[in-house]
Amino acid sequence: MKVKNSIIIAALLTFTACEDMDLVPKSQGNTAAWYTTENELEMATNEFYILGYWQEPLNSSEQWSDNTTYRLQNRNPGSNGCVLDATLNGQQYEVYTLWNQSYKLIARCNTLLENIHKATCDEKTRNRYAGEAYFCRACKYADLTFFYGDVPYMDETKTISEAESMGRMDKNEVKQKTYDDFDKAIEYLPESYSLNSTIHATKGAALAMKARYALYMHDYDIAEKAAAQCIALNQYSLYPSFSDLFKQQTKNVPEKIFVLPRSIENDVILDSWIVKNALPRNAGGYGSYNPSWDLLAAFLCTDGKPIDESPLFDPHNPFQNRDPRCAMTIVEFGTNHCGYEFNPSPAATQIMNYTTGKLQSNQDTRIVAQYTSYNGLLWKKGIDATWMDNGLKVEQDYVIMRYADLLLIYAEALIEQNKDLDVAADCINQVRARAYGVNKSETTAYPAVSAVSQSQMRYEVRIERRMEMAMENQRLQDLMRWNLAEKALNGYNYILLMDPNAVLTDVVNKGNWFWGMTPMIDEDGLADFSALFKAGLCTTGAERKFPARQMLWPIPTHDMELCPALTNNEGY
Amino acid sequence: MRTLRIKSLCRQRLAALVVLSALTIASPMWAGVITLNHANGMYILKAEKTTIKSVFKYIEAQGKYVFVYDQAVEKRLSEQVTIELQGRSMEKILADLCATASLSYTINGKQIVITSAKKAKSSGKAANDDKPRTVTGHIVDQSGEPLMGATVKIKGSSKGTISDMDGNYTIECGKDDVIEVSYMGFNTQEVKIAASGKYDITLVETSNSLEELVVIGYGMVKKKDLTGAVSAVKGEDLVARHNTQLSNALQGSLSGIMVRRNSGAPGSGASSIHVRGVTTMGDSSPLVIVDGVEGSLDNVNSNDVENITVLKDAAAASIYGAKAAAGVILVTTKRGQDVGKLSLHYTGELGLEIPTTQPSMVGVTRYLEMNNELQYNDNPSGGLFQVYTADQTKNWMRYHETNPDQYPVTDWQGLMLKSSAPRSSHNLTMTGGNKVVRSVVTLSYDDVDGLYDGRSFKRYMMRANNDFTINKWLSTSIDFSLRHAKSDNTVYDPFSDMRKMPAIYPATWEDGRLASGKSGANPYGLLTEGGYSHNSSSQFQGKGSITIKPFDGFSLQAIVSPYLNYSKGKTFKLACGYTLADDPNTFGGYFDAGSIYATNKLTESRNESWRVTSQIIANYMKSFGDHSLTLMAGYENYSTESESLSAARDQYELTGYPYLNIGPEDFKDNSGTGSEYVSNSFFGRVLYSYADRYLFQANVRHDGSSRFAKDYRWGTFPSFSAGWVMTQESFMKKITDQGYLSHLKLRASWGMLGNERIGSNYFPYMALMSFGNSFFYMADGSVVSGKTARPSVLPVEDITWETTTSTDFGLDAHFLNGRLRFTFDYYWKQTRDMLLAIQIPYTMGYNDPNTNAGKMSTKGWDLDITWNDHIADFKYHVALNLSDFKSRIDYLNNSDIISGGKVKREGVLFNEWYGYVCEGIYQTQEEVNNSARTATTVTVGDLKYRDISGPDGVPDGKISPEYDRVPLGNSLPRYQFGVQLGAEWKGFDLNMAFQGVGKQNSYLETAMVQPLRDNYGNIPSIIEGNYWSPLNSAEENASAFYPRLSSVSKSNNYATSDHWIFNGAYLRMKNLSLGYTLPKKWMDALTIEKVRVYASASDLFCISNFPKGWDPEMGVSSYPITTSLLFGIQVNF
Repeated sequence: MKVKNSIIIAALLTFTACEDMDLVPKSQGNTAAWYTTENELEMATNEFYILGYWQEPLNSSEQWSDNTTYRLQNRNPGSNGCVLDATLNGQQYEVYTLWNQSYKLIARCNTLLENIHKATCDEKTRNRYAGEAYFCRACKYADLTFFYGDVPYMDETKTISEAESMGRMDKNEVKQKTYDDFDKAIEYLPESYSLNSTIHATKGAALAMKARYALYMHDYDIAEKAAAQCIALNQYSLYPSFSDLFKQQTKNVPEKIFVLPRSIENDVILDSWIVKNALPRNAGGYGSYNPSWDLLAAFLCTDGKPIDESPLFDPHNPFQNRDPRCAMTIVEFGTNHCGYEFNPSPAATQIMNYTTGKLQSNQDTRIVAQYTSYNGLLWKKGIDATWMDNGLKVEQDYVIMRYADLLLIYAEALIEQNKDLDVAADCINQVRARAYGVNKSETTAYPAVSAVSQSQMRYEVRIERRMEMAMENQRLQDLMRWNLAEKALNGYNYILLMDPNAVLTDVVNKGNWFWGMTPMIDEDGLADFSALFKAGLCTTGAERKFPARQMLWPIPTHDMELCPALTNNEGY
Repeated sequence: MRTLRIKSLCRQRLAALVVLSALTIASPMWAGVITLNHANGMYILKAEKTTIKSVFKYIEAQGKYVFVYDQAVEKRLSEQVTIELQGRSMEKILADLCATASLSYTINGKQIVITSAKKAKSSGKAANDDKPRTVTGHIVDQSGEPLMGATVKIKGSSKGTISDMDGNYTIECGKDDVIEVSYMGFNTQEVKIAASGKYDITLVETSNSLEELVVIGYGMVKKKDLTGAVSAVKGEDLVARHNTQLSNALQGSLSGIMVRRNSGAPGSGASSIHVRGVTTMGDSSPLVIVDGVEGSLDNVNSNDVENITVLKDAAAASIYGAKAAAGVILVTTKRGQDVGKLSLHYTGELGLEIPTTQPSMVGVTRYLEMNNELQYNDNPSGGLFQVYTADQTKNWMRYHETNPDQYPVTDWQGLMLKSSAPRSSHNLTMTGGNKVVRSVVTLSYDDVDGLYDGRSFKRYMMRANNDFTINKWLSTSIDFSLRHAKSDNTVYDPFSDMRKMPAIYPATWEDGRLASGKSGANPYGLLTEGGYSHNSSSQFQGKGSITIKPFDGFSLQAIVSPYLNYSKGKTFKLACGYTLADDPNTFGGYFDAGSIYATNKLTESRNESWRVTSQIIANYMKSFGDHSLTLMAGYENYSTESESLSAARDQYELTGYPYLNIGPEDFKDNSGTGSEYVSNSFFGRVLYSYADRYLFQANVRHDGSSRFAKDYRWGTFPSFSAGWVMTQESFMKKITDQGYLSHLKLRASWGMLGNERIGSNYFPYMALMSFGNSFFYMADGSVVSGKTARPSVLPVEDITWETTTSTDFGLDAHFLNGRLRFTFDYYWKQTRDMLLAIQIPYTMGYNDPNTNAGKMSTKGWDLDITWNDHIADFKYHVALNLSDFKSRIDYLNNSDIISGGKVKREGVLFNEWYGYVCEGIYQTQEEVNNSARTATTVTVGDLKYRDISGPDGVPDGKISPEYDRVPLGNSLPRYQFGVQLGAEWKGFDLNMAFQGVGKQNSYLETAMVQPLRDNYGNIPSIIEGNYWSPLNSAEENASAFYPRLSSVSKSNNYATSDHWIFNGAYLRMKNLSLGYTLPKKWMDALTIEKVRVYASASDLFCISNFPKGWDPEMGVSSYPITTSLLFGIQVNF
């Protein structure tokens, strides 16, 4: 009995033996062992190119400018306020997202730089990866100082209490460190990558991004030198077709200096808000994210003059005789767009469906579809019928820097220093000639710019930027650094009369379509529609508001509350 | 049913003694020393200088037998004896004992009827002067089962008798005599005898008596011996709630248990359960133990539940150590009884689910007008008809008659939701057993439909609990349970958009084709054509145990319980869209609900998790004289592994074949991950009592977890508790004898509990690299993905257990012979080293790390009052529970956690509302000009906030989120209560349950009150006539509650502020049910034991301050809370 009991007790005890608790994560690595091989460095730097770090939230900045309208409101991707409603505070999506996405990428860069000495690979390889980290960190501090001014400067991993006790570093100091990072990146990064390796940041990208930052910071000599060095690399050239450049099927052509690809196959796609809101209603979109009338008015005529000066301009046919980029950026009335004829006129209740070859009711005029484009305009740049091919998934590249932009940066840097204006003019002409599809030397085939005065050239380069870079999320930053934001962004969005029947009777039937008169363009290239409004030929949509304080954004409330040493920008 | 329960109590007592030996009893009622030991197959009974009666009581207290004898016999039991008896069986001992006292006995099951050796029938005759009357009758319990061995005696005399096998009795009594009928476990009943004849008596069970066993961790204890704070509810009371999910049935059933819901969707359980408030920032849900091993409430069928015990304080819960900080819920399922026969029970229910209430919206014309008004407010230069023309606004409804496609008027809710949804359930239970094998087997099926097509919940559950007695020292049990639930739903969840979509957008064109909705956002089209998801989950749990009892008082039990959870999901999102109003052949566009329904995409998922719990538990129980001691020691190992897999293909050409291999090769996506976790624990308990008067208990548990680094892995959690049964003291005898106060116990406890739950992060002490993908060009223009690695979380190497220290003072009192019972507990607890994701500055670039930071404390009290009584055969009971708590943050690493309009901050209640202090609506421009504002655009008609502080600590003339938001009061409910009322009369039974919250700062969510959300949303009718408007008179505006209609000012007006806080107290009728048990005589003919029919209504009504259309428990975008009406039948064979 006793023996039997003992056996059973022993059996019961072994049956529940103490199980080992020293587990290791099944599906994750850990930092202690990381950054030791080239492969691990590669994975750590791959991280830097995740789209979110770069596009959130600046891929929407076009919507916070005078290039865009959205129905009757100022557009807000978040839900608690709009950049153009003058209600900006530290809790707004754009404000805290730009901040935390930037610092996230900075932290990834810092961790790599702190640990890279552990890597067993040769110094050249190590430097290349370090160069990527310097490059990304510099780009992010560039954004931070531009939007927030003085910011906490993190170049190493801090403890929580250290981080919480940090205040803001003077913007000029951060700027200097950022230039230093760019310089290290320029030194370490390769001009190009071999055929069988993935393309990460290059020396050219670092030079170009440095040039842009220096331009934003008004350090024109630095901008000029970096841009000149980048051009001198001879790696980049303008793509022959302006309209094709932005299409999703145009891949890494030599114009793209720094680009993050998207991939439908991998479900990395263009924000569906942009896709649906930009597509015409006839093609199943909303037609509600629209280029503004201000933008339509901004394109020069083929004689190189603004619309209120050029005899070529006809307000009834606003696309005629305009810089070709006008109709490549905004859908010209009566043309085939995404398989459908586009015509917002209330007289056009039927349009051609080019796929079926038949007429159908026109969903892009408000007399048929009440909520379609309120100003009659639709974006065209980069948008074509292929957008509908994959269930409205679009793999357009996220282009951060392209050669045309660099040429204009170079030109502007020269102009602002009032030197080599002919070189600046040449840069502008390269960009403009490409838009006309001609060689820059064919000066009769396009309105070439010639070096005249600094002020005239400044006007030219700013107009050129607006025509070239529309819908590329540069406009707000340009207005801010040109100190034109308050002027351009206080006022109204103008739209067609709300009652489509009134548009028919008072505008179309009286021969006032599209614009009843030519809007006036001021010395900064900004249009004025008040005469049109006073004549009852259009109405106002949202009121854009840009208070002076908004030249710098507020510091996110989240960090203000955690870090007592942080101060806020003026006015918040 | 009732007899079964009594027997089950006996059986549990037996189980306690024989199987678990978890308790010991030392009764003060017998003097001298009595011991009964079992050794070498022999029972040895020793009694010194005691009475036979004490010996009987001693044996009775061991729970094996109940002695029944009449008054005549009782006298003879007082003789003093000193005996030592030995025998191989108890029967032998009893025979010898009775022989000693010249008594004879008969054994009927557990009942031993003692009679005089010589028939003492004549003893009563001489007592009466008057003509003796012969009274006969039949004694039954409430279910009509005869009660054998009930004592029938004449009040005030020693004369009495005992009912026979069939419950019949005969007694002779005098004029105006009162007979007293008593039976153990039942209330004593008195009947006045007017004349001779038949007096049938129904005894009412004494429920919740002190002798009742309460399940505690790894054992059981008699209620009277409890020293910790424990609440219990019987399974039948939960079944009476008629909820599909057990968690819902617990709502309002127990004091100190906060059960919250946010929807009434088919198959949805409680959204959260908290025991005694909030103990920690993270997971504050209690540990659920089903039959001794970790489980989940909603995986248990209510019909299988014998009882549920909630261990509320540290004394009760600390045996579960590191997992018990948030309280422990113990679920015990029914087990088979040694009844010598089999019974079969069937319960069937059919019913309907009807939404309690739904929000309503303004009509079309008002929508158009208010839309224009909003635009006018934001842009006055455009005039009053900027969005819709005067003609459209005025004539929309009229134009709708002739041109519904251009002027739609859609009742989205009416179109999409049915007014009710059917539900049904069936439950079959087979139970029975003998000395060797005892089993319960149940099978149940539930089917609940949703309020729209494509939504349903079906569940099959099976459980078999089997006990085997192999021999005297070896027994075993094998249980298993199976659950398979199928949940069907549409891909598109309609509630948010359905409540938001204005009527002016078309769901269908005039000819019935699906229409565009709002530019493709057509909730109706998405609901009907957007595809489906079919999810199922299967759980299998087994549990085997072996118990050996090598010597008397000692037992050793080994348990192993494997659990397998397998779930799979299939979601087929279908491309769907609309055709143009005037042209059925022209495609208009795809439907859209944030994501576009433009492709057919199939996603499948498979998740598997596995866990094993092994335990070994040793128990030793010994009593000597008035001292009684129980020792328990155990070891437990818990390990779990899980893996998940999901795969998808996009752009299917065909939608009829929902399998991955039919999809295109190009658009494949898949992912998989896994995790594992192990814990080891040692635990022990000492229970000591002296003379049933002084009770003492100590527990300790030593836990180790794989979640922490080696040096921080182990934690030790002790607890101590004591009880003083004052009514057992001699100085209280006077009071107890009067019968007003029958039981009074004071309890005190202190203990420590641990917590380690920090979500799915199983390695918080390691700096983990998270993997992902980024995309690159190759020189040839192709795009390839690159694996990315990042350290996304800061590691905290010394992270370890958080500890909750809890102190409890309690009082149990029974008055009026136990008819009125009262329990009160006051407690406070503090959690330190709290595990929480502390907020770190964004500038660090990491996600918030989990660490031990912060302290919080909770103070509260629980009160239970019950009343049980009967008036003749009308039996009724009332139970009330009420509890309150306040949880406060004491320390939080010098930082705040602000999210969802609530704050966690040092010195402030847990999750207080956090926002601006509102000073009403700006009425004049002057007021606007002289105020601090959030932005310059804030104007007349917007909400005005108080300028509280600024960067220099004084008001700065600006309203900013950094300096002007303050805590605005508790967000958690106060004074939660539940009331149960029950009555039975002549086969009818009526039950009512109420539940509610006495006080709560509730919030008018933006989605409930904001007009034109996202610039198009519908307008809640609650704001109509009560908002500031430029079209109103100044008086109207002065009394308006809601701000002006504005898109520009929405970030000002709908920021969290005290303007939107209101008292959300509510009282809800949880359940009302009425049943009728058909008379037994009808059933006997059919050889059916019992038939009961009943009707039940759950969530019938609710009284609250919530705005019209909103149920206090309903989420703004969730499935409504539903009233269920059902009819059921219960048949026992």
